[in-house]
Amino acid sequence: MSEKIYSWFLRLYPSRFRESYGGEALQLFRDRARDEKGFFERLRLWLDLLADLAISVPREHYHFQPEFFGVSAQRLEGIPAFFVLESGSPRPGALFSGGILTLVCVITFSVWLSQPALSRPFRALTSQSRSPASERPSAFRRAPSHATDSTREKSSALRPSDVPAASSRSTEAEAGDASNVVPRQDSRFFPPPPPPPQPQAVQPGGAADTTILVEGKDPGVNAAERHRVIDGAIENLKQYYVYPDRAQKVSEGLLAHERNGDYDGVTNGKTFADVLTREMRGASQDMHLVVVYSETLLPERPRSSTVEDLVRYRNALEQQNCTFEKVEILPHNIGYLKLNAFPDPSVCESRARSEMRRLNDADAIVFDLRENRGGSPDMVMLMAAYLFDHPEYMYSPRENTTELSWTRSPVPGNKLADKPAYILTSASTFSAAEHFSYDMKMLKRATIVGETTSGAPHSGVFHRIDEHFGMGIPETKPINPFSKSDWVAVGVEPDVKVKAADALETAIKLAEIKLGKK
Amino acid sequence: MPKQKLRPLPSAAFQILLALVDEDLHGYGIMRQVKEQTEGRMRLGPGTLYSSIQTLLEGKLIEQVDVRADSRLGQERRRYYRLTSAGRKLVRSEAERLADLLRVARAKKVLRGAHV
Repeated sequence: MSEKIYSWFLRLYPSRFRESYGGEALQLFRDRARDEKGFFERLRLWLDLLADLAISVPREHYHFQPEFFGVSAQRLEGIPAFFVLESGSPRPGALFSGGILTLVCVITFSVWLSQPALSRPFRALTSQSRSPASERPSAFRRAPSHATDSTREKSSALRPSDVPAASSRSTEAEAGDASNVVPRQDSRFFPPPPPPPQPQAVQPGGAADTTILVEGKDPGVNAAERHRVIDGAIENLKQYYVYPDRAQKVSEGLLAHERNGDYDGVTNGKTFADVLTREMRGASQDMHLVVVYSETLLPERPRSSTVEDLVRYRNALEQQNCTFEKVEILPHNIGYLKLNAFPDPSVCESRARSEMRRLNDADAIVFDLRENRGGSPDMVMLMAAYLFDHPEYMYSPRENTTELSWTRSPVPGNKLADKPAYILTSASTFSAAEHFSYDMKMLKRATIVGETTSGAPHSGVFHRIDEHFGMGIPETKPINPFSKSDWVAVGVEPDVKVKAADALETAIKLAEIKLGKK
Repeated sequence: MPKQKLRPLPSAAFQILLALVDEDLHGYGIMRQVKEQTEGRMRLGPGTLYSSIQTLLEGKLIEQVDVRADSRLGQERRRYYRLTSAGRKLVRSEAERLADLLRVARAKKVLRGAHV
């Protein structure tokens, strides 16, 4: 019994000690127990043993300096090598315990991560490098404390693309003030690029991943800055706004409000931008005017696109199949196309054409734009061309009316021009997707099914006012042949209003009814 | 790499070296010899004993000679340890150091009794 107890005590020693001397220690205990009989002798034996344990156990654990075993002797300079601290392999019991412990740690960590409140600091660390482009830090989208979702979305529409403006339509804009002009490509479209080495700040006025991100709270605006912003806005309006008379009216209104002290209490940058936007729109009756506030510093002269940007953009699009998420034929020969952007045709034209060819024999076509975040007007024109057998005028509030405002229909070999078309929309359907939906609705070429779209103010050209404020100003006079105003700020109303989640089912039913009547 | 330093030589290690001066001993033999040479004042427990033996082995002051049974203690086979020449040299120098200390103590009349 005593020996058993002592053998339990021996477990307190490190395994290397037990392996070397455990047997001998037990032997020594047996020897002493045999020789030291009687109550006092035994008592002294146990006192000795306990005192010995108290001294030698901590010393064995504390003083041990591990030696490296293994390949150290053969190690050559500059050649990586492994070293191990123990020469023997772990016992199965140790491996089992280690496995259980690892499992418990992994489960605990997973549970912890799934609790947003607990894991926020960690998420903040990891999200910068892993989040998709739609969640990447940007000038506007990282200001939740100052903007509702809808206003934030509206603001971000003015962001110029960080991708090269490759379309033919962009040249007109680029010929202007290079520092401020938005490429005509819809800036809202940012395909998730390959993981960037650093989080990028996409700025109004141009790509600027060299921009310093200003974290933290809105520094606020004082009277001097409010005055500077109003002066800058008036100057830009007079210089760029395509309607000089309205520019004059808006300017007078702003100055009158400033004189009356209407802005004195407005110290929040975002609020000030919203107030100015509201008043400018009220005075001009033009929903395309907008003032935006950026927490990040707006660069004076944006960095121009580089070859690397082009390559990154191209790779990102190709990786995502040019955002054609799904192209398939549903029952009853209904073609279904889920497109999450209108990507630049200079990269994606052949992909778009091949996807449309796959649907060529469908009896009806459903465009799912519920998650479409906008993109290039040229791609809008390319896709629209398939729905007509003759050139059709497509209104775009950002484009002057030119020969390019007509679709290049008919598309050779296309059989979809007279097929029923349905467009699925949601409150997130944005910008170029609204352009497509609006024109198709106005032309009565497609039935819009779903929710009212977001109402993106895409049409202005961005002008920097100061390091935090900028504005969108229409510089073109496109002809809107339709009686109803466009979607800016109000969105595109669906023909059939259903929840976005139910839109596909509804559209399929409508198509089936329509095809059944045929 | 010795796990404990032998300079200064710990008391237990010195006693073990002294115990091995006359003959090769196994662990229990060393313990008994130490107990005897210290008149029962030092009874090495297994932990202290084998920890010191390991240190002395690593310092090449003692060596393991063979594994055999001790007829007085039964049939169990035991590891026997022997003093190396380095160990013998060290035990001598340690004894001389203590003798020097003793001389100093005597000169300063720290110790009582002339025979000590």
